[in-house]
Amino acid sequence: MRQRSAEDRVTREVVRIPPHFPARRAWWACFAVALLLLGLFFVSVAVLFGYGPGVWGNNIPVSWGFPIANYVWWVGIGHAGTLISAMLLLLGQQWRNSLNRFAEAMTLFAVVCAGLYPILHLGRPWRFYWMAPYFNTMNLWPQFKSPLTWDFFAVLTYLIVSALFWFIGIMPDLASARDRAEKRRWKIFFGLGALGWRGSAKHWYRWQQSYRLTAALAVPLVVSVHSEISLLFASGPVPGWVSTVFPPYFVLGAAFSGFAVVSMLAVWLRSMLGLKDLVTSRHLNRLGQLLLACGLMTAYGYLAEAFTAAYAGGKELETLLDRFAGPYAWSYWAAVLLNFVPLQLMWWRGMRQHPLVLFLVGLSVAIGMWLERYMLLVTGLYRDWLESSVGYFRPTFWDWSLFAGTLGVFFTAFLLFIRFLPVISAFEIKEELEKARDG
Amino acid sequence: MTRPDQPIAHLSGATGRQFWRGLDELIDQPEFRAQLAERFPALARHAGDWRRRDILKCLGGAVALAGLDGCERAPDEEALPYVETPEGATPGIARYYATAFEYEGIAQPLIGKTREGRPLKLEGNPQHPASRGASDPITQAALLGLYDPDRSAAPRRLGQPADWALFDTQIAELRQQLDASAGAGFRLLTGPSRSPTLLRQIAAVLERWPQARWHAWSPVNDPSGQGQRSPARRLLLEQAHAVIALDADPLGPGPLQTWHATGWGARRRAYQQGDGAAQLLVAEPTPTLTGVTAGEERLIAREDRMEALLQALAARLGLTTDAPPLTVAEQAWVTKAAQALADQRGRGLVLVGEHHPPALHALAQQIDMALGNLGRTSQAVPRVRAQSAGSLRDLTTAMAAGEVQTLFVLEGNPLYAAPPHLGFANLFVRVPLRIHAGLHANETGVASHWHLPLTHSLESWTDGEAADGSILLTQPLVRPWTSVRSRHALLAGLLDDPTTDRELVRATWSLDGPQWAAALVQGWIDTPTSVAAPAVAPPQPAQPPAPPRQPGLSLLVRPDPSVWDGSFASNPWLQETPKPLTKITWGNVVHISPALAADRGLANGDLVRLAAGGNSITGPVWIVAGQERDTVLLHLGHGRSAGSRVAEGVGFSATPLLGLPAGAEVRLTRIEGHEAVVTTQHHFEMKPDEFVRFVDTAGEALPPEKPKPSFYPPQHSKPAWGMAIDLDLCIGCNACVVACVAENNIPMVGKEQVAKGREMHWLRVDRYYQGSPGEPEHSFQPVPCMHCENAPCEMGCPVNAAVHSDDGLNLQVYNRCIGTRTCSAYCPYKVRRFNWFDYTGDDPPELKAARNPEVTVRQRGVMEKCTYCIQRISDARIAAKKEGRPIADGEVVTACQAACPTQAIVFGDVSEEDTQVSRKKASGRDYDLLAEANTRPRTTYQARIRKGAREA
Repeated sequence: MRQRSAEDRVTREVVRIPPHFPARRAWWACFAVALLLLGLFFVSVAVLFGYGPGVWGNNIPVSWGFPIANYVWWVGIGHAGTLISAMLLLLGQQWRNSLNRFAEAMTLFAVVCAGLYPILHLGRPWRFYWMAPYFNTMNLWPQFKSPLTWDFFAVLTYLIVSALFWFIGIMPDLASARDRAEKRRWKIFFGLGALGWRGSAKHWYRWQQSYRLTAALAVPLVVSVHSEISLLFASGPVPGWVSTVFPPYFVLGAAFSGFAVVSMLAVWLRSMLGLKDLVTSRHLNRLGQLLLACGLMTAYGYLAEAFTAAYAGGKELETLLDRFAGPYAWSYWAAVLLNFVPLQLMWWRGMRQHPLVLFLVGLSVAIGMWLERYMLLVTGLYRDWLESSVGYFRPTFWDWSLFAGTLGVFFTAFLLFIRFLPVISAFEIKEELEKARDG
Repeated sequence: MTRPDQPIAHLSGATGRQFWRGLDELIDQPEFRAQLAERFPALARHAGDWRRRDILKCLGGAVALAGLDGCERAPDEEALPYVETPEGATPGIARYYATAFEYEGIAQPLIGKTREGRPLKLEGNPQHPASRGASDPITQAALLGLYDPDRSAAPRRLGQPADWALFDTQIAELRQQLDASAGAGFRLLTGPSRSPTLLRQIAAVLERWPQARWHAWSPVNDPSGQGQRSPARRLLLEQAHAVIALDADPLGPGPLQTWHATGWGARRRAYQQGDGAAQLLVAEPTPTLTGVTAGEERLIAREDRMEALLQALAARLGLTTDAPPLTVAEQAWVTKAAQALADQRGRGLVLVGEHHPPALHALAQQIDMALGNLGRTSQAVPRVRAQSAGSLRDLTTAMAAGEVQTLFVLEGNPLYAAPPHLGFANLFVRVPLRIHAGLHANETGVASHWHLPLTHSLESWTDGEAADGSILLTQPLVRPWTSVRSRHALLAGLLDDPTTDRELVRATWSLDGPQWAAALVQGWIDTPTSVAAPAVAPPQPAQPPAPPRQPGLSLLVRPDPSVWDGSFASNPWLQETPKPLTKITWGNVVHISPALAADRGLANGDLVRLAAGGNSITGPVWIVAGQERDTVLLHLGHGRSAGSRVAEGVGFSATPLLGLPAGAEVRLTRIEGHEAVVTTQHHFEMKPDEFVRFVDTAGEALPPEKPKPSFYPPQHSKPAWGMAIDLDLCIGCNACVVACVAENNIPMVGKEQVAKGREMHWLRVDRYYQGSPGEPEHSFQPVPCMHCENAPCEMGCPVNAAVHSDDGLNLQVYNRCIGTRTCSAYCPYKVRRFNWFDYTGDDPPELKAARNPEVTVRQRGVMEKCTYCIQRISDARIAAKKEGRPIADGEVVTACQAACPTQAIVFGDVSEEDTQVSRKKASGRDYDLLAEANTRPRTTYQARIRKGAREA
């Protein structure tokens, strides 16, 4: 009986959240802010569509501005969820079970935000589907040499796979939420999502198959998608961009920023929803370690990039020196500072387990990685080959408002998720408990 | 009230069968209705009662009928479509007319292209020696001046719209008065026009009313309003193997630019081929196009040092004995100049800036005469009207004395442009009758009783004098579409002469029918070339004691390279053209030297007050590399307050400091504040030989470069279009930039957008410095699309909008472009331009009419760039195909190439070895811009040549 009740408690703690939400007031406060930002998103998009991309600060030479930098930032964040869920699942790291569900949701929503940007970025966004290969009377196809074409495929694939992975993972928990729901509307709501799950051995067998298979698909996608995105930069003949280091450098940076955001969300959810029993200091410790490891690898990427540029000489070296001391040096040094200096606290277990410290380090890295994307993009373009074509980039109000707006898109979706769906994978934790007992 | 269950009255009394179909019918009897109407009036239907729908129907019908009336309105005139097409008029086929455009007294020979009655493009008249097909930016932009939506469209009286009939009655009264008083109190103020017909009409006016007076004035030629400047010489730069320019800018902007630059270009090309020399030595206080062209033979010297330099030069050549003391640099320059002149005896030329005193000009002519240059490299110009026209100062003196009853200002804007010491503005408003005629209701027009709209030169009959002295005929390219009159019609109206403009012009020239027709076709009148006798240098007038050299600042006030004296300030093509040296658009600045900026702690854009002679102006400073330390330069033509929405509020007016006496004290003080000055090119120094490369003398070659390996297969096609730009010939005049704008419907975006880096010019002229900011070497480099064989833009585009054509063009397919801007990010030359907004949709109909129908007007959100004028290539291809022959060399001429006065741009088929462009590219001076990017550009450059003569 005691054993049963431990598992029972896990389930209850998780699935009782939607109908008996523990922190209504805090949730409403957050949701109001998120809705406000969502409103700002719609206003910004309306202004953008009404007037054109000229409302931003983009120009010639800096023809790519915030949309592309933010796109890379969002996709980067979107990689952590998959890494935590799929890779650690395949590696048999069971501690992931307390984190994977909301990390996957974060991935999903971050990729949605990322996917919006390349479309909004276009001069004629109503023609975005021309990037897709579809049969048409003009017999026109995308240009397959372009990194943007592959980018389109990559993001779309990644969105589909991460949505599938998240949905397959949440299905058993939706079934137990359905079974425990008291009110009819909750029963129907969860029941629709559970797809008739009854927990039979056959169900579990099929589930295991599909979940593992999707995980196996998702892990290489993380690498390929972000490598592809790095090619947006690396395949153009722009000093400071054209570098073979970029694919691994971008993937590591993406994981780094993603783990930073996962850490922040974990600390936040844990305190808001009272999940201290499920997201324990052990989890925070692990997250801190991951953050540190990814951060150090990203720092190595910085060094490798600088070294290649210095070794190449010429325009590459000029761009490097310009990053160190040019008009946009602030973005370079702020990125270095925010990414790597607070990170050093993660060497100590006490710091890693301290929720507030972990949160702040995560925040610093999230901002730092945003600055890194801004720096890479702007320092590459504002002064590339000809001295005559130097032009400075200054973001406008609408650049910032659209960015804030996509934060609104993200948080609105994420808050709805934690309000209405099981935020933690209860059955996997139970499985873990069982294994712990057996072992 | 009757109820259904009650016995029904009309049934109870009836016999026989009575069928009823329903209870409704049973009840619905007159009595029942009456009862109902009594109790519920709202439900009852009365006769003539209008229901809502009926009312709406009726309203609709009434509106429709009212509209029918509108259909019957007949057009004002009978208009018929072509039943039989007029001879030669084929819709879609352009027609070309020889015409001319006059500014600052010099007419530019032109060929105007029209289609379906709309003038679309101006090209220099290739047959005329003063153009040879080339033109300058102001002339190129004259087309937009024709379509300017802010041009006055009808007369205004006291600021209110009026009509010509009223003016004509007033003029009739005036005529009677003048007849009675022999013209006393009547004054005519004109611009510097030299139109023989106009001069003939003015002479007729003065003959009829002997007491009337005529004054001619322009702020550029006569800044102080004192009268004519030193007699100018006509320069034959093609013959000049060594040119010594002392603060003179023959290649600089202005009406003589095309004439001088074509001559210089011809000379320089000959030198490149080994024929003689083309040396240019310039001493000047601020960099000019001539100075930049001189390269390292440029001496930076204060304006008041020119006298000493010239005297030293004369002494060095043995003409005089008293050599003033010179600095080491000056000494070296004078030695070089003397050497060059001595080497090129009979082929040299000594020039002094027009604003310098006559004594200096006389000395320069003396040198030329002593060396046998006079008559060979320059000719004396007979002054056409110097005798009869009074100066502006004469006019203000008369105005102050109250002698002026009627002032007729025919063209010009003296209220804005007159030098302050004459007090013109205050005197003007006291004149009892003020009439102004001009293209715009400008400052003078607003302050006049009558403002009369003039025709644009391109829609009127007139004539003028070209730079080489020949007489050009101006034919209208289009009939005026507003209520305007030409200046000839106005003067004829004054004299009550009903002759039409065409007949007036024709009457000036006694030509028979065929001669007249021939003159119209070719654009000028064949006059017997008066062999200008070698001018005898006038005796040197007694030199007034030169004012002692002021230690303070030296102020120069010059016309603006784009908007000139403000006459073209309403032309956005010119406002947005970056000024050659500073690349500033939409405004003017106080140009100062780097040393002065360092002294005063000034940075670009800091506001200063510049005071002299009791007046001051306030404006942002701009640091100009290579400006003399204590020289301050201002440009005229900005700070306009009336006349056009484009001109108003741009920059500041330099007029308050116009016409200062030589040596006036100038004070520059910093004031609080900063103004954003908009430039298209920021201030960056170039590493030696990076983008603009140099060789030492003609015939020398650049070090050979091995072609870089590439994964892409080499491109072979026939034809394979390519371009060669000879940087040794480019003088940075911007004619190509404006010609490209006119040809390719390039939208103007305004100051704010240029500030953001969003100008749309497909072709830009880059300016670079080498060396120290105090004494740099400037270079110009026109940059169109390179049409790379291995184009990075094509690789980046996800939708195949950037593609390569079979004949080697790098194409941009506007209707396929979705605006990812990858192509621009990947373009090493940054020649692509993006439509950030809808720049063209809101254009007024006049501007839409000015567009070239052969070039797509681009939509919001698409990328665009130089096409090598693909529409002209297509034209030539179609013409060649029709005749079953290959396209001949030189048949395709791009707009920039056509406009270039020095023929620095050559375009053609690079797959043939004997085409002009292939010969250019075969030169040892040929190089790829950014060869390290390995894009294999089809546009290549030829290096500049440092020395203008081969080493002896």
